[in-house]
Amino acid sequence: MNRNVQLLWNGLIPENPIFRLALSMCPAVAVTTSVQNGLMLGLAVIFVQVFSSCTVAIFKSFIHPRIRIPAYVIVIALWVTVIDMILPVISPEVYKQVELFVKLIVVFAIIISRLELFASKEPLIPSFFDGLGMGIGFLFGLCLIGAIREFFGTGQLFGFDILGFNPLLIMVLPAGGFFVIGFIMAIFNWIEYKLTGKIPTSGGAH
Amino acid sequence: MKEIFKITMSLTAVCIAASLILGFVYAKTDHARKLNEERTEQKTIQGLLGFGADEKAPDDLKIFPVYRYVITSPQGETSLGYVLPLKGDKVVLVELDLSGKPIRVLPIDASISSLADQANRDNIINGALPKGSKSVWAQTIFVADRGGKRLSYVVPGVIQGFKTFIKLMVSLTPDFTVSGVAVTYSEEDPGLGAEIQKDFFRNQFVGKTLDLIKKLSVVKEPLPADYASSLDPVKAKQKGLTAEQVKEIKAKHLNDDIYALTGATISSRALTKGVVNTVQKFVKRLEILDEAIRKEQLSIAF
Repeated sequence: MNRNVQLLWNGLIPENPIFRLALSMCPAVAVTTSVQNGLMLGLAVIFVQVFSSCTVAIFKSFIHPRIRIPAYVIVIALWVTVIDMILPVISPEVYKQVELFVKLIVVFAIIISRLELFASKEPLIPSFFDGLGMGIGFLFGLCLIGAIREFFGTGQLFGFDILGFNPLLIMVLPAGGFFVIGFIMAIFNWIEYKLTGKIPTSGGAH
Repeated sequence: MKEIFKITMSLTAVCIAASLILGFVYAKTDHARKLNEERTEQKTIQGLLGFGADEKAPDDLKIFPVYRYVITSPQGETSLGYVLPLKGDKVVLVELDLSGKPIRVLPIDASISSLADQANRDNIINGALPKGSKSVWAQTIFVADRGGKRLSYVVPGVIQGFKTFIKLMVSLTPDFTVSGVAVTYSEEDPGLGAEIQKDFFRNQFVGKTLDLIKKLSVVKEPLPADYASSLDPVKAKQKGLTAEQVKEIKAKHLNDDIYALTGATISSRALTKGVVNTVQKFVKRLEILDEAIRKEQLSIAF
């Protein structure tokens, strides 16, 4: 398989940030009370991840290895702030929807870990696809959790009433987030066990 | 030793590059963002007054701003200055001392619409005051007037939320019944505290009279189902409730306290406290201001 496609696929399932790497769990629990929220945060993360990965890939030779972490934090904060300033000018309607989510991002573990593990070693093009893949994987994870929690917690999907009653209120409460993520993680591990025959090590790849 | 210089230089360079980019983007987007904010503010005010996409504002509706300034005299005494529009597009600055007695009335040589820009307004106000006085803008209140009668007041407020400040706007009828609450700025968590912006929560304040507002508190009980569907216009439509029924349900729950959001009690309390504080302070201030206007026999525009 083409390496770039491989990288995209890698971020989506085999190294899914939430279910396989177990990174950025805090927003994954806090925000995902509905699909809509998951979608918005996922989109915001894709942008910041791709831009930060590309920036670090281009300028990695200028960043002294001993101060790479503070430099990465500055790069991420820079992109978050730039998006936060430009988006209301380009499209106030979209900004109104994602405003809260963009501001949440600044120090997500997933973004800085991809900069450290991938973008600081690889050239621009693979870094771009790695960032995009991770972003899409994060989006997928958030939407999946959001859909399950919204459906069972409020009986709705995308804000539309489907069931007309609340089957399990606990699902929209923070505790429900842990349950859902735990179960999906278990399913991922079970699939890996079935495919490879090995019992997965805790957490995931890193 | 040489290493540490290299590291310092490298980090400094990163920081300077980042700040240059931020400065450039800020300078480029600042103007457009301010314009957008103004437009959103106007839209919010119109929305609070009950006008929007489906209901056009009538032609004789006028919205007058009233700017409140805190003035420090050269002797170090604090007083309040209200910039009021007069009939015939004239503007005056009414200065009141802290007990509410009018000190003086200064004419301002500008039209009320030209005072919308804050930097310009600050200059004009400072120029009109006696030498050595300092003035700081504190608040802008909007008075909606229709055919010479006060239709409603729109009062902005601010309160500490869960993470940072929540900015809100409350619209009041002339007898100080809340007719609408809007959250103009907040950084509450999506899915939890950010639900304070939803109709079903904000509309709980609507219809509360001044007496009810004074003793309003938050209860940690689930929102009753019939009340929830009457608060959200979309839900009311889905359930097939008529306007009459909605009114009836709302009347039944009028004396209820505010039902806290599940998992976001702090944000619910914050918004409630914000609304209560904003309304109470405004009512007191307006009383003093109206008294002063009567004493000074000003013919104000609203």
